[in-house]
Amino acid sequence: MAGGGPGSGGSTDRTGTPRNPALAADIRDFTFHGAPAPALRDVALSFAPGSFTAILGASGSGKSTLGKLLAGWLPPGGHGRLAGFLEVAGTRLEFDGGAGDPRINPASWGRHVGFVPQDPGTVLSTVRATVAEELAFGLENAGMERSAMRAAVDRTAGLLGLRGQLGQDPARLSGGQLRRLAIGCAIISGPPVLIMDEPFASLDAAGSHELSALVRRLLADGTAVVILSQAMDAPLLEAHHWVVLEDGTATASGAPHRMTADSSLVPAAIRRPGQEAVLSTARPAGPPPNSPAALQLNGVSFAYPAAGGDRIRGSRAPRGKRRGQAQGAAGLNPLPAVLEDVHLAVHPGEIIAVTGPNGAGKSTLLRHFNGLLRPTAGSVLVGGADISGVPVGRTAASVGLLFQHPRDQLFERTVGREVRFGLDRLFGATAEERAAAALEATGLSGHAGEHPAELPASAQRLLALATVLARRPAVLALDEPTVALDGIGLGLLDAAVRQAAAEGAAVVLVTHDLGYARSAAHRIVALDGGRLVPA
Amino acid sequence: MTVRSAAGIVAPARRERLNPLTLLAAAGSTAVMTTAAASWALSLAVAAACLGLSVAGGTARRLLPAAAAVLVPLGLSLLVLHGLFFPEGRTVLAEWGPARITAEGLGFAVQRILLLAAVVLALLVFSFSVSVPDLVAALSAKGVQGRFAFVLASTLTLLPAIAARAERIRQAQESRGLVVSRRLLSRAAAFRLQAVPLVLSLVEDAATRATALESRGFSAAGPRTSYREVADSRTQRILRIVLVLAAVAAIVVRVVPAGAGA
Amino acid sequence: MSSPSLTLASQERPVRRRLLEILGALAIAATYIYLVLNQPTDITGGPGSASALVALSGFLAGAVLLIIAVLPTLPASTLVLIPVALVLNIVLGQFVGSTLVPFYLDAIGTVLIAVLAGPAAGAATGALSSIVWSFFNPTVLPFAAGAALIGCLAGLAARYGLFRRFYLAPVAGFITGIIAGVVSAPVAAFVFGGTSGVATGAIVSAFRAMGDTLLAAITKQALLSDPMDKAIVFTIVALLVYALPRRTSQQFPFIRRHRVLAGKDQARKDQAAPGTGHTETPAPGTAPGTGLNG
Repeated sequence: MAGGGPGSGGSTDRTGTPRNPALAADIRDFTFHGAPAPALRDVALSFAPGSFTAILGASGSGKSTLGKLLAGWLPPGGHGRLAGFLEVAGTRLEFDGGAGDPRINPASWGRHVGFVPQDPGTVLSTVRATVAEELAFGLENAGMERSAMRAAVDRTAGLLGLRGQLGQDPARLSGGQLRRLAIGCAIISGPPVLIMDEPFASLDAAGSHELSALVRRLLADGTAVVILSQAMDAPLLEAHHWVVLEDGTATASGAPHRMTADSSLVPAAIRRPGQEAVLSTARPAGPPPNSPAALQLNGVSFAYPAAGGDRIRGSRAPRGKRRGQAQGAAGLNPLPAVLEDVHLAVHPGEIIAVTGPNGAGKSTLLRHFNGLLRPTAGSVLVGGADISGVPVGRTAASVGLLFQHPRDQLFERTVGREVRFGLDRLFGATAEERAAAALEATGLSGHAGEHPAELPASAQRLLALATVLARRPAVLALDEPTVALDGIGLGLLDAAVRQAAAEGAAVVLVTHDLGYARSAAHRIVALDGGRLVPA
Repeated sequence: MTVRSAAGIVAPARRERLNPLTLLAAAGSTAVMTTAAASWALSLAVAAACLGLSVAGGTARRLLPAAAAVLVPLGLSLLVLHGLFFPEGRTVLAEWGPARITAEGLGFAVQRILLLAAVVLALLVFSFSVSVPDLVAALSAKGVQGRFAFVLASTLTLLPAIAARAERIRQAQESRGLVVSRRLLSRAAAFRLQAVPLVLSLVEDAATRATALESRGFSAAGPRTSYREVADSRTQRILRIVLVLAAVAAIVVRVVPAGAGA
Repeated sequence: MSSPSLTLASQERPVRRRLLEILGALAIAATYIYLVLNQPTDITGGPGSASALVALSGFLAGAVLLIIAVLPTLPASTLVLIPVALVLNIVLGQFVGSTLVPFYLDAIGTVLIAVLAGPAAGAATGALSSIVWSFFNPTVLPFAAGAALIGCLAGLAARYGLFRRFYLAPVAGFITGIIAGVVSAPVAAFVFGGTSGVATGAIVSAFRAMGDTLLAAITKQALLSDPMDKAIVFTIVALLVYALPRRTSQQFPFIRRHRVLAGKDQARKDQAAPGTGHTETPAPGTAPGTGLNG
């Protein structure tokens, strides 16, 4: 059980001499059923109690598969065949891919190895009404006494900083809180190992700070922490050990300072801190002066209606994004304005970044650009024309919007059809050429025949970007474009945005990543308390 | 109405004292006994009592629209059907061509409507006043009961979430230039574009959720406990048995003579 | 907490479950036969008659027995899909229902589960759909048996390869609709004394005007609407299943074991062929008239 050891964060025992490992594995080969090539091969790992390991790999390198395999979330035999062994608490299970292989009991495995997947919302049981009950779900199934459950819930909530939310509906939590709840569900039974997949992606500075503090507390209690990531997030510099995963195999490992010093050890596809600044040594050239604004917001104000918001409020999907700040007021009281008297003019060729913490209303602002949300006061002009009353689908011809969840925008059976969709109706003969150019710009030319949903996350985002680029819209608006992109994807994005601006598009980037905003934009504005202020 | 009323059920009024199973037994046996009695006076009384309970419990504002959405079309359909066309009817009140208004037809329709209204209201009073988390906790976590409770609670949680996701997908598609006109073909096309990503993401999320549940012991054998405390008492347990027996008795009393006479 | 073994023993299939399944099916069949045989003496017997109770308790008991038999045997991966299917029944049903008026299309989720996970899962989903839906519309409760039948038949259609050819899916749906409509008609007749919608009520009225008995009129109405309705539902589901990426659909053992879907590799190779940009090579999942690139 993760007992609270206050004040002992930071220094922990080094992993120099491996004691009896909390978890070890030797994956000689893991192949999904029907897949032509192994997803993982020759990966040998061992995690000592209290050790902190980061497994770095680009999108599609197999790191999620590795994490799930280690955590018993991908039981060998069910989805694929494993040759090798998994070892937990001194018990070694040997697999050779045959019928005689042992079958993992996920429940007892879960008590040894906790796992938090990329999307924390998917681990919720959906049948528990409060955060406290959600945390207790695993304990109920193990038949724990109620008094012991209460103690465990209280202790875990304290560790996670969720004591104030115990009575809340899990569906109403903000993104950062939801991430911590998912971790709580994994650690409440006190597993000696915790594996987390991309925990820092999409967290802003505050959220990522809280999460690092939690990791330190877990390490101090002797939990082995494993973090899978495609970026060398700053918190990972505290790790004892890095392992680099490339094309399903471990190519390098060592202490972080050694790995960062020798750039040949870490492939370019893994994002480095401050990589954006390196990518774009020169800030993009300024926009041509005196051109009329491609997009103009005049005194736009907006508040979500209190009564009609029921459907949105109950949703897990936007994950408290819209209501992150309105959490306390989510009763019947009218919600506070998300946007207040916002003025913004974006000219052709100009790149503007809108920053702000999670929940500041950045996505709400973006949805005004094409009319998905209509302002309660003020007006939105695209190419000088007011878009009020114009259907979104028509405004979309001049305003290309890229959402945070690329899968919502994709529906075709192949990448090629996805990009071509609707083009020939708009552009006739040049449609094919435009589609090809967009695929080329996003590095997807070789994937035209694949199913969009089978692409790695980074490529899915790029594909969604390609569908927008192919239309060459006058205004290009991207919501958190850096999230889920690996190093190579980031480079492609950067080039594509510059290219679009050079060809005369007005670009708006909405991001919590100030570093990226600084490197990519001509001008940065911050959304603060519903108002846009120069940053 | 459906999505909204579901969201209403997710956050129901609190019933502190009564066990949800007692409420269920009461509503169910009321429905069965009213059907068995088949007396318009009893139906009327039950319907009125249910409305009274609902007003007293503060659920009337959510219950009435839901009940109306079910009962109004059904009532109209029955009135038209039996009011105008009831070949078995003898007392003809009015006649236009093939349509004959008969006293028997109207009586049949009114009796049916009253009966159905009583049954529907009794069951809706239950669903709008029960606390779903309590109901889930009251059904044991194991075996069929536990799995049924999972399906019920999960459906009620997912309904608003999936409706919101469908809305999010619609927004994303419109941002890609989808314009839905009133033409059938355009709507069918829009349906395909929205249903495919919706179903795909739901199936994938469900796979992750299944794994997460398994690792938290969802399918584990052995005894379960419940974090949530649900009020219950010996009196209520006896009451539940009595209610179920009464309902069974009502069915037997009604069906057996009919079976013997046939 | 004691820590049980890290591995699972092999599973055995209890005979008792099978027995319950058979009992459930028997209850439904016996109820139907009883109702059809007794109906002539009944209609004038007035409302709330014995037949209503027999229809309610017989069909409901059958549906509940099926649930008891099937639900505990389903793996968690299928179980978590059932709530999703129920929501799809409602959300997609509503969406289509608002566009294509004369049908109900409230079984899309049920048929989807049946195709992905087999007849038993489909039957349980159908029955559960009615029971859970009765939470806000109690009038659908008596149709649980009919809904279970639809799920079961859809699963059998998938099992025997009717979803491998795109044109066979609506045919299977049509036949399913005939059977389900005929079985559900006594419920409408004896429990409700008619149908729940005004449009369907008008059709029943027409048959009654010609002097049919209530059961005959409702059965004929069901034969007019249900087969078409289910043909559309099966077509939509086929469209959805073929739109799923292979990795997703092949994760279901039922699909793998019975080769429910046509080999998509061939179709996808055609798609992937370079330079074939606009030449539409319809994969099995491409319904006529859904090529939207034009």
